[in-house]
Amino acid sequence: MMNIDMRTRKSPMQKLDGRTKLIALSVIFVLVLLFSHPAYILALLGVVMVIWWSAKLPLQTIKDLFKYFLVIAVIILVVQIFFYPGQTELIRLSNPVPAIGFSGFITLEGILFGVAMVLRLVVIMIVAPLMVLTTPLPELMLALVKLKIPYRFAFIMTTALSLLPSIQSHAAIIQQAQLCRGITYDTAGKFFTKLRASVALLVPLILGSFRDSQTLEIAMSSRAFGAPVKRTFLLDSQFSKIDYLILAVTIAILVTGIVLRILGFGVY
Amino acid sequence: MDDHPPAIHCQQLDFVYPNGVQALSSVNLVIEPGEYIAFVGQNGSGKTSLVKHFNGLLKPTRGSVRIFGEDSSDKKVSYLSRKVGYVFQNPDDMLFCTSVQEEIAYGPRLLGMDHTEINQKVEHILLELGLDEHRETHPFALSLGDRQRLAVACALSLDPDVFVFDEPTTGQDYFGGKSIMNLIDQLHAKDKTIVIITHDMPLVAEHAHRVVVMSGGQIAMDGSPAQVFSQPEKLHQLSLRSPQVTQLAYEMGFTEQAILGVPEMVEWLSRSYLSADTTNPGSQP
Amino acid sequence: MSTQDPSNIVPPAQPAQVRTYKARGRIFGMSIAVMSIWAAMYIAASAIPALPVPGMAGMITVNAIMTAISGMVLGPAAAIANAAGGIVSMILFPYGFSAGPLGFLTVTMGGLVAGLLFANKWVWAAVFELIIIGAWFVNPQSWQTGMWMVPLPYSAIALLVILVKPLRDWTRRSILTQHKVWMWPAVFLMCTVGHAAEFMTTNTLVNWMFNLSWQYWVPTLPYWIMVDTVVILASTIVGVGVLIGLKKARLPNYADTLEQ
Repeated sequence: MMNIDMRTRKSPMQKLDGRTKLIALSVIFVLVLLFSHPAYILALLGVVMVIWWSAKLPLQTIKDLFKYFLVIAVIILVVQIFFYPGQTELIRLSNPVPAIGFSGFITLEGILFGVAMVLRLVVIMIVAPLMVLTTPLPELMLALVKLKIPYRFAFIMTTALSLLPSIQSHAAIIQQAQLCRGITYDTAGKFFTKLRASVALLVPLILGSFRDSQTLEIAMSSRAFGAPVKRTFLLDSQFSKIDYLILAVTIAILVTGIVLRILGFGVY
Repeated sequence: MDDHPPAIHCQQLDFVYPNGVQALSSVNLVIEPGEYIAFVGQNGSGKTSLVKHFNGLLKPTRGSVRIFGEDSSDKKVSYLSRKVGYVFQNPDDMLFCTSVQEEIAYGPRLLGMDHTEINQKVEHILLELGLDEHRETHPFALSLGDRQRLAVACALSLDPDVFVFDEPTTGQDYFGGKSIMNLIDQLHAKDKTIVIITHDMPLVAEHAHRVVVMSGGQIAMDGSPAQVFSQPEKLHQLSLRSPQVTQLAYEMGFTEQAILGVPEMVEWLSRSYLSADTTNPGSQP
Repeated sequence: MSTQDPSNIVPPAQPAQVRTYKARGRIFGMSIAVMSIWAAMYIAASAIPALPVPGMAGMITVNAIMTAISGMVLGPAAAIANAAGGIVSMILFPYGFSAGPLGFLTVTMGGLVAGLLFANKWVWAAVFELIIIGAWFVNPQSWQTGMWMVPLPYSAIALLVILVKPLRDWTRRSILTQHKVWMWPAVFLMCTVGHAAEFMTTNTLVNWMFNLSWQYWVPTLPYWIMVDTVVILASTIVGVGVLIGLKKARLPNYADTLEQ
């Protein structure tokens, strides 16, 4: 799990309204998909890294994340380098191999495009943690509700989150109970043994948790969930001048980005 | 000694959870084969942490646990389960098959027993635990009492010599609790070693032959029910209470030995108050 | 709001609103409590390490199994429960999602298509399935050599189950009546629909985001067929166990709301 304690650090990012961050980071996400030129994506990565730095988040988190995406990053790079239909020949490896669509040489365009796609992957993978690591979850939920996400949907997310510890301890007990019945989780490499173990975990977990749902339902009704009145919130958030400023800049960048893209810039 | 090792032997056992909570400190304990032992104590006193060492669910942080002479630290739970069966408090956590007989056959199948042997075993257990009419039933369609019997059946199918029961009567009505305790007594009668965790003191007084009181991760008291329950002040310090009948007898002045059940109480009362040849043993109410 | 007969002048003994609480606590017939619990399990499952399939991290996950069976357990509400669980797990464990912030879409689609089909809203199920398959082919990338084969296993099968009436009816009936034998292949088909919707959405998103060419998709196809078959088989075993258990223990499940 990501280290949530980091959110307690003070940084300009924490002071921003949840909505501002959500919108700004969504815009980065849209822009990184909009452009495919390595220079443009590199610029976006630069912006994300500046935000990461200003939020005082450790670089180690990015390294940890990247571990999980190393394989897909390598696949992306290799496929693009070898098979991108480029013109500028850099290294000739062999004669053309039509069966696999390989032209026989590595092109500058292929390398640049591969790099662009890997950079895109990096930006995509660190945008979401950037939001989460700088915003306490209640604030994030409030931001979502204020952005007109249906309250009941936000309620499901927050309730799920508060149920998580009890579900996890239930799952741990079930795993222990299964061990006592002779299941082994630790036989490394035995694929089907592990598969069988996850079956033995899920069935009792789902059935047991659904049994608890009836209690939760009563608790919800007895606390007037769904009462036909306008809800008020304990937490409230207000836009500050900085929020407005950042939103204005964000929207300006988005519009510029879209215009550039329509004019044909930033496409590889 | 090595020819007849104790069922469970804990030496200087320390256990610290990964989050740094010390659950057990310097526990020394010997459980001989055939004992009927109850662990009592407040929540968080370490009793569950201790018994989870008996089949390797937890491994000692320091010290050692020997199970029939074998060190538990490098043994898998799946291996130790053939020696020590563990029945969880909530039977639903143990059940995941689609019929009672499949559920019982699951463990033996994992052990690689052959087909006829498994069938014989399943038949035998079904009859022994009175589950034979439910053989095709889905485990979740059984009553709580029967689900608990089935959980015992699953442990039994691995043929262990020791049975650990975590709060076997919690959530059961009177007859449900009675029936599961009868089953446990039956297992004990067949020379199985019985370990139970419970908060139910009358149950301890009625069934167990030895009581271990846990407190703060250590063994605070260890002895027969009569020995332990005859020290109400000490129990009180540990936030525990003897069975009401024991307390009553104590309050009435019978302090030399704990009264453990109603029949004994009646016997004592009739001896003290109704027969002519004894003097008044305590203060009159 | 009140469903009282206007001619009824005498106020009822109990206030009418009491009922509306419960009604508002439900979406597509499933209670919000159940959906929250499903989402919580989904998040918990994200913390369980994926089975290491050689080649790519995190593909046979407990989440994949949950997504595949969600439609049969929760009906169309599965889409909402999966989305909620998916969004929160993406926040807590971002490494499980190769499609980045859009990753929750994949599990939403898995629950949605299978849930709609199970609810017999097959037209809608077909619409979303066609959107998923269509989104693959809208990308010019997908017109390269052999890339038309990628949606065949199993989205084509899913589409057949949705569109062919006898097959569809038989699948639903076998699951609803919990037929001793036919329930197994029926649950397999239903898991196929759920899982196919999930991974085809993933494929499409990945294809749009990273422009992987046919040299990646086509040679790895047999490998993915194998992986997905294993996921669907595992889901079938879990699904049958869960569905029978829910019915036997009289716990909330979507099939009950269909019978009412």
